[in-house]
Amino acid sequence: MPRTTAIATRELSKTYKDVRALDNVSLELEPDRIYGLLGRNGAGKTTLMSILTGQNYADQGTAEIFGHAPFEHDPTLSRICFIRESQKYPDDFKVHQAFKSAALFFENWDEELAQDLVEAFALPTRRRIKKLSRGQLSAVGVIIGMASRADITFFDEPYLGLDAVARQIFYDRLVEDFAEYPRTIVLSSHLIDEVANLLEHVIVIDKGRIVIDSDAEELRGTAVTVTGEDAKVQEFIGSAQIIHRDALGALASVTIKAKLDSEQREQAKLMGLDLSPVSLQQLVVRSALSSTTETGIDERTEARK
Amino acid sequence: MNRIIKVARMQLINKATFIGIPLIILGGSFLFTLAIWWLVRRNGSDEGLYSGGAQAPMWYFLALGIQALTLTFPFSMAMSISRRTFYLGTVALFSVCALVLSVFYYLIGLLEVATGGWGMGGQFFALQWIADNNWLVQILFYFVLMVLLFMVGFLIATIYMRWRTTGMVVFFTLLGVVVLGIIALFTFGNYWDQFWSWALNWTAAGITLWGGLVALLMAGGSYLTLRKATA
Repeated sequence: MPRTTAIATRELSKTYKDVRALDNVSLELEPDRIYGLLGRNGAGKTTLMSILTGQNYADQGTAEIFGHAPFEHDPTLSRICFIRESQKYPDDFKVHQAFKSAALFFENWDEELAQDLVEAFALPTRRRIKKLSRGQLSAVGVIIGMASRADITFFDEPYLGLDAVARQIFYDRLVEDFAEYPRTIVLSSHLIDEVANLLEHVIVIDKGRIVIDSDAEELRGTAVTVTGEDAKVQEFIGSAQIIHRDALGALASVTIKAKLDSEQREQAKLMGLDLSPVSLQQLVVRSALSSTTETGIDERTEARK
Repeated sequence: MNRIIKVARMQLINKATFIGIPLIILGGSFLFTLAIWWLVRRNGSDEGLYSGGAQAPMWYFLALGIQALTLTFPFSMAMSISRRTFYLGTVALFSVCALVLSVFYYLIGLLEVATGGWGMGGQFFALQWIADNNWLVQILFYFVLMVLLFMVGFLIATIYMRWRTTGMVVFFTLLGVVVLGIIALFTFGNYWDQFWSWALNWTAAGITLWGGLVALLMAGGSYLTLRKATA
């Protein structure tokens, strides 16, 4: 018997005025894995997560959580936790009151874990939420997400404003807790290199379209950068799909979509060509760029910053 | 059902919002009124003293209706609560609060009459026009007024949550046009005398009945609007 899918969408589309936020998104996410939802700002990550958690609704297509549409369905919603990056809290709420509230609604809420994380993030729980710094505000969302232990937990750019130490605490704790309590985790991020090691599966969204939906391990081997004399590089890559090309004088550095076998690697060595692996971040940036041909130049400079 | 009660408990996590602040407003306006009455009596006036101060907390409910939605609704979405559950829990909680306060108004009105208007012949809670009715009408009258004001705030806030600024502009423009239209109609048709003689003849029971109906309509309207609102 096949395992039930945690999240399934079919031809999901959503348009805001003249912006196509989601364009025919079809996905299937298995339970108990860590997924990365990657993409640029405004690519449609938050919109997708909002629809999956019933906070928003699609214009077309269907979204199902454990086989049921989440919109206005309490039994399904109670298995999900999604704290937005720009989450609003009641104006007069203090940090500990937000946790008290979360403990009411999330059945698997682990108060011990929450307190533990409060200490790790040095979060002042008696302070009003509206007086918190950006990093502390992110920490509140991270703690609710982790301690809720919901069957499906979404983290929406959870590291905003967190310093490097706090971010590492988040990544470490997430992996630790996941090992003990496996559940489906969807981590949305544009800091791709930082989360790359956590992810088991990568979904890249750009301008509302899914451009990559692949196992993280598999993905790492799907592209390679070939560097060397322009003519030789050209000869070597043949008709392989080019993701990106950089040229400096007679030298060229071309990233291609290809899986090289040992024979090809040997051949490259003989031709005096350098082969280097492509990081997840580069791969995502290149994929996002190649799907935007017209404005590619401007965006390339932006991506390098 | 269970989650509806949890929504009410969530709204009560900060007890000031639903219980503390209304009591402070009521207590404050009552004490101010007593102080003013005392000053008036010292100056030798012996006329009847009336105060509209009892309505002070009711206006807070208008703000509460807006606040319960604009700030708590996005948070309730993050708590994975459906809009329906959020709506039922919030409205139920407010109804209970309003009912308790209404009974309190009635009881303290009895006390006011028994003490001869706090020893000064004043009327703060037991205003003649309302206190002349039986207990049920009195309690329901306060209750309906409170719910009505809360619902006005709630409905406007749901329209905002669903259609944002556009919704506000359209709503208030339409409201302005309708009000202006009615005024124009009355003015050109010379209906104003008729209107006032009709309006001044309203009884507390009549207001309760029609106000309750309007509150119900607004409750239905805000529910339907909220069903597709987004955080």
